Amino acid sequence: MRRKLSKPFLLIVILLMVLATVLSACSTEGPAPSESKPAESEEAVQPAQSEAPAESEEAAAPAEEQQPGEEAAAGEAPAEAAPAQGEYKLAWYAPAPHPYFEEVLQGVEAFEQEFGIPVEKQIGPDWEQSSQNERVEALAAQGFTHFSIYPADASGANGLYEELTQNGLTVVNFGASTLQPTTASFVVATDVKAAAMQATEALIQSMGGKGKIINVLEVLEDSNTVLRKEGVEEVVAKYPDVEIIQEISGMTSVEEAVEKIGNALSANINQVDGIIATGFTTSVGIAQVLSEYYDTGGNREIHAVGIDTDPTVMKAIEDGVMDGTIAQNPFGHGYLSLLVLKYLAEGYEPVEGVYHIDSGTAFVTKDNLDSYANDIMAVTEQIKSELTTKYLKK
Amino acid sequence: MAEVNLNKTAVSPKTKSRNGSNSLMKLFKRNDMGVVIATALLFLIFALVTESFFTRYNLFNISRTAGLYVFIAMGQMIVLVIGGMNLSLGGIGGLVVVAAGYTMDSLGWSPWISVPIALSVGLLAGAFNGIIIVKSKINSFIITLASLFIFTGLVTGISQGFPYTNIPKSFTLMGRGSLFGVPYTFVLAIATLLIMAYVFKFTVVGRRILATGGNLEAAQLSGIRTDRIVFLCHVLSGLFAAIAGLLWVSRMGSAQPATGSDWLIISFAVAIIGGTALTGGEASMLALLASAILLTLIKNGLIMLNVNVYFEQTFLGLIILLAVSIDRIRAMIHSSARKFGRRDVTEAKPLAE
Repeated sequence: MRRKLSKPFLLIVILLMVLATVLSACSTEGPAPSESKPAESEEAVQPAQSEAPAESEEAAAPAEEQQPGEEAAAGEAPAEAAPAQGEYKLAWYAPAPHPYFEEVLQGVEAFEQEFGIPVEKQIGPDWEQSSQNERVEALAAQGFTHFSIYPADASGANGLYEELTQNGLTVVNFGASTLQPTTASFVVATDVKAAAMQATEALIQSMGGKGKIINVLEVLEDSNTVLRKEGVEEVVAKYPDVEIIQEISGMTSVEEAVEKIGNALSANINQVDGIIATGFTTSVGIAQVLSEYYDTGGNREIHAVGIDTDPTVMKAIEDGVMDGTIAQNPFGHGYLSLLVLKYLAEGYEPVEGVYHIDSGTAFVTKDNLDSYANDIMAVTEQIKSELTTKYLKK
Repeated sequence: MAEVNLNKTAVSPKTKSRNGSNSLMKLFKRNDMGVVIATALLFLIFALVTESFFTRYNLFNISRTAGLYVFIAMGQMIVLVIGGMNLSLGGIGGLVVVAAGYTMDSLGWSPWISVPIALSVGLLAGAFNGIIIVKSKINSFIITLASLFIFTGLVTGISQGFPYTNIPKSFTLMGRGSLFGVPYTFVLAIATLLIMAYVFKFTVVGRRILATGGNLEAAQLSGIRTDRIVFLCHVLSGLFAAIAGLLWVSRMGSAQPATGSDWLIISFAVAIIGGTALTGGEASMLALLASAILLTLIKNGLIMLNVNVYFEQTFLGLIILLAVSIDRIRAMIHSSARKFGRRDVTEAKPLAE
C-alpha cells in the first residue's frame, strides 16, 4: 500500500517542483517589453506579457530601458503612480499572443516613453470573450480606469464594455470595432472596407484591368469580412472585364487556408488571373500556395494582393510571388488609442457623431518594402495632430 | 481421385467464377470496405461532374493533403486502439514545428540536425504524456488535455506567434517533391501504413497493442505488461505528430506556430471514420487511408463544385453523413445476404439428402 501511494505522490511532488521552476523562470527572465522585435527578428527572446502577471512583467524591464513613467510603474502597483494631471490609470489589453499585437505594443511603449505615463499591458491566453471578460474585470478591480482593448468578439465585448462604462470607466477599441451601438468611445482601426477596396484596385491594376479573380475571405461570421466582401465586389463591379469566378471562406488557420486556396487554385488553374485576400490568415495562405505553385513549376501568371505584413507575405512580395499587400497601422492602433484615452481622461469629449478614427494604410510593393513604414508613421503624425480638433473637443 | 479431377475439370469455369464472386463477397464483408467504397464512389462522382478534378495538379494536391491527414490520424489511432486518446496531438505538432523552425531559422542549423531534434521533441512530448498516464493512472483525456495547454503555451511562448520563414529550400523536397508524379508525402504515408498493418497483424507487439485495447484486464492476466504498451503507444503518437508537423514545414517552406490548431477534429474524424474503434482493440490501415482520402476529397470537391460559401459546412456535414451511411448499407446488404444464404442452406439440405 505504501509503495502504491509513494509513486503518485513522488510524481506530484516532481511536477510541482517543475512547475515552480518554470514559473519562477518566467517571472524573472523576460527582457523588457521595449525590446519587442520586428517580425524579422523573431528569434529574440520575448517578454512574457502573455504569461506573466503584470507586476513581474514590469519588474522584468531592465533599468536602462525604463521610461520615467515606467519607473513609477515598476513596483507592485503601477496604479499608485498615476500621473498628477488626473486620477486615471491606463490599461491596454489584447486577447491572445499574435504578431500583430507585438507591433501594436511598440506604439503603446512609444506612448509611455513620450508622455511618461505607465500603461498596464496585458495579453490574454486565447480569443475567447469569456477570458477577456475575466481579465479586464480583474484590471478594473485593480483600479484601472481607461482601457484600450481589442475586442475578442465584436458582439460579445459590448456586454463587458457596458458594465465598465456603467461604472464610470472608459473604453476605446483598437484594431477592430465592436458592433454598433457600443459604449466604447472610439475605435482606432483600419477602415476595413476602404482597405479591401484599395487592395482590389491594386490587384486589378496589376492584372491590366481585366481577368478572373478568386476572392479569398476569412471567416464569414466576422462582420468585418462582410464589409471586406462588399468592398471587393464594389470595385470589381466598376470593371466590366473583371469577374469574380470563385469565393472561398471559412479559414481560421493557415493550414486550412493553404488547403482551401490550393483547392480553389486547382479548380481554376486554367482561367484564374488574380487572387485577393483581405484577411491576415488568408494572405499568408496565398503567399504559401503561390510560392509552392511557382516552386513546383507552375507557369501561369497569377497576380495576388493581400493584407498585413506577416513575414511570409513580405517574403512572397520580395520574391515576386505576390504583387503587394495592404499594410495597416498597428503602431498607430497602440499609440493613438492610448493618446485618445489620455485626452478623454483629461476632460476632452468625443465630437458628436464621431466614433471611427481611421488609422490609415499603405500599399506595400517590392519597390517600397524598406520605406513603407515611414508612410505609415506620417499618417500617425497626421492623425495625432488632428485629434483635439477633428475627433475630440473640450 | 480421377472422378474428383474430372468433376473439378467439369465445374472449373463455374467454380472459378464462384471463387471469384466469393472473393469479392469476402472483400465486401470486410468491416473496413464501407469507407473504401464511399471514397471510390465520391472520387467517381467528382471526376464526372467537375472539370478540373482530374487534373494532375489537383490529384497531386489531394494525395499530398491525404498523406498529411494519414499521419495526423495515425497519431490518434495508435492511442485510440489501446482505448485512450491524445488531445494534445496538435500541441505536439506545433511544438515540433517551432523546434524545427527555431533550429533552422534562428540558429541556422542544417535540416540534418534540426529534423532529428524536432523528431525527438515529438517523441519526448509523447513520452511525457505516456509516463504521466502510466504512473498516475489518470485517464488519458485529462492528462492530454493538460499537456495540450502546456505544449500550446510553449509554442506561443517560444515563437511569440511569429512564423519562421528562413527554412532551407532543400528542406521543401519532401513536402513539395514527387516520385513519378506521386507526392513523397503520400508515398511515405502508404509506406508507414503498410508497416503499421504488418506490425498489427504479424508482430507480437502489434498483437499486444490490440489485446491491451481489446480487454485491458485480460491482457494483463495473459502476462502483457500493459503499462509498457500504453507508454509505447503515446510515444508513437508523438512520433506521428512530429512527422506530420515536419511534413507541413517541408510543404510550406516556413514554420507556422499555429500548425496543429485544427488537428484535433481531423485526427478523430479520419481515425474513427477509418474504422478505429473508440473502445479500442480494432484498427484498419486500409480504412484509415480511405478515410483520409475521403475527407480530403470532400473538402476539395466542395470547392471544385463552387458551392455557396455560406452553406459549405452544411454540405460538408451532409456528404460525410452520406459517406458513412454507405457502410451501414453495406452492412445491411451483408446481413440480409447471410440470412438469404442460410435459407438456401436449409432449403438445400433436403435436396442434398
